[in-house]
Amino acid sequence: MKSIRARLLAGLLALVALTAIGAGVITYERMLDETSGLFDYQLRQMALSLRDQATIGPGLILPSHPYGSDFVIQIWSPLGALSYASRPGLPVINRAILGYADMRLAGERWRVYSLETADGVIQVAQPWRVREELASEAALRVLAPLLLLLTTMAAAVIWIVARGLAPLRRLASEVERRDAHSLAPIGAGGFPAEAAPLVEELNSLLARLADAFGKQRAFVADAAHELRSPLTALSLQLQLLDRAPDEAARAQARAKLGAAVERAIHLATQLLTLARHEPEGAAVQLRTVELESVVREAIAETNALAAARGIELALETAGVLHVRGDADALRILVRNLVDNAVRYAPAGGKVEVRLRTCAAGSGTALPGAARSVELSVADNGPGIPASERERAFDRFFRRPGSAEGGTGLGLAIVKAIAERHGARVSLEDAHPSGLRVTVLFPSLSS
Amino acid sequence: MRVLVVEDDRMIAEAVRTALEQDGYTVEWIRDGASAAAALGASSFDIVLLDLGLPRRSGLEVLREARRRGIATPVIIITARDDVQSRVAGLDAGADDYLVKPFDLDELAARMRSVLRRGTGRADSALEHAGIRIDPATHEVLRNGEPVTLSAREYAVLEALMLRPGAILSRAQLEDRLYGWGGEIESNAVEVYVHALRRKLGAEVIRTVRGVGYCLPKR
Repeated sequence: MKSIRARLLAGLLALVALTAIGAGVITYERMLDETSGLFDYQLRQMALSLRDQATIGPGLILPSHPYGSDFVIQIWSPLGALSYASRPGLPVINRAILGYADMRLAGERWRVYSLETADGVIQVAQPWRVREELASEAALRVLAPLLLLLTTMAAAVIWIVARGLAPLRRLASEVERRDAHSLAPIGAGGFPAEAAPLVEELNSLLARLADAFGKQRAFVADAAHELRSPLTALSLQLQLLDRAPDEAARAQARAKLGAAVERAIHLATQLLTLARHEPEGAAVQLRTVELESVVREAIAETNALAAARGIELALETAGVLHVRGDADALRILVRNLVDNAVRYAPAGGKVEVRLRTCAAGSGTALPGAARSVELSVADNGPGIPASERERAFDRFFRRPGSAEGGTGLGLAIVKAIAERHGARVSLEDAHPSGLRVTVLFPSLSS
Repeated sequence: MRVLVVEDDRMIAEAVRTALEQDGYTVEWIRDGASAAAALGASSFDIVLLDLGLPRRSGLEVLREARRRGIATPVIIITARDDVQSRVAGLDAGADDYLVKPFDLDELAARMRSVLRRGTGRADSALEHAGIRIDPATHEVLRNGEPVTLSAREYAVLEALMLRPGAILSRAQLEDRLYGWGGEIESNAVEVYVHALRRKLGAEVIRTVRGVGYCLPKR
């Protein structure tokens, strides 16, 4: 049954009904018992009074009785001949079982009392029907007020159940009042103890929702703001293209416009990537990923940019390494790291990508993991001073004087993807100068 | 006209510079707030285009400090912040106008002219003096109603002089207007332009004040 109220009412009302029926049956049986006792006594008294009458004949005086017409008297001679019957035509009660007996005569149940006398046998009989009717009437008279009481009880039960379940309805209406703009916690004061765990969990959920909505709003606001500059550059370059006085100017404007478009696309792509890999973003399919091939793919994608700036890209690996994660996301992570390194390294500089395993207790491994896989990317650029390292992961954070074309989202994306994979990101100085970014993954024991 | 562009985004700054130079302005580009404050203190500009989201010091701070120091150069704020509070704050900090990104180059040019006009207390954008009329918007030059053709640099010298009729501008000041910093200047370039102007407009238009500079004599 799907409804608490229906279940409660069905159970309680069934109980009330059963009580009523039980009371009825018991009362009736008791009434029958008592009336039977009374009537049996009646029968015997009648037989005795008949015996005590001096003569037996037509002048027989039958005791007057309200139920007189239901009594049947038969008197037998010692030889077994019917010498008197109060109602001729009635079935003959032949068997002389002395005392009380129940007999079936002409389809009806009769109670018969037989008394042996010096002159024969006197039998007085009464149909059971009479007793049963009397017992029924008496039982009903007793039960009527009880039934009324039980009906009232049933109504009370319905009302009490409704009142008992009212807090649930109130809770439902409280939750209904919440929407994206008002996620205030539900006051636990007015609710019964049983609803407290539910209210508590609901409030916790509302808090998480409010947090997620807040983050989403902040993200959208930040993104809209950040997009203005690239889009402005785009708009301005287009206007310059229109104004270009000669072919040379037009060619230059066209080239700049192309670069501005690239930049806008890059920012939009980074924003989407970040949104997708945030904790509230789409679910990540975790599979076994071979990290070295992912790193090689990412490096291949960044090659053109590195070559353009004359930067040497070196990869140091330790063979086949497996982690649990999403290959595409990991490739994006490595790409952002290498991209950053290439942008910040001075022209003609060097970027080192290193992949290796760390044993537990080596001081660099993840706590709680037997082994870790370490990916690190180092450049010989200006580095990030220790005081700014925590903020470096903030969205849109760019150091003053930082490299061209950056969106400020690279490290934020790296951190988001790393966290989805249970990995940890850290920044430190590279030697002799520059920045080293290290990502520690829990290793799949292979 | 010398313009100081303070903007940390390279692409935007380059585009604005190209457009302004096409209109005959001389452009200096500064990328951060601290350098902007120094530049404003060190030399004079006719107008400043100021971005607010600058590294090292915010645009508003730079503006407030400049005003405190008595630098009255007209300033137009160009920024991505478009909410009312930011506009009010910018204008109250001492800006003469407030433009939101993305913006139209023509609108920028018109607002610049409007601000410059106000700076000299003129209602009409065109400058007139002694029968010569120039229109800063179109760089048209009319002498007694007849159009005159001037090169961009010649126009720049004429405009500089016509902005303050009667005031003497030194050769160094005129050179600054023409070239900004780091430009290659021939030592007598200004004289050459003044000579060309006299040829096209009449010898009495520009007076030489020996050892001081040039001016447009007041009638």
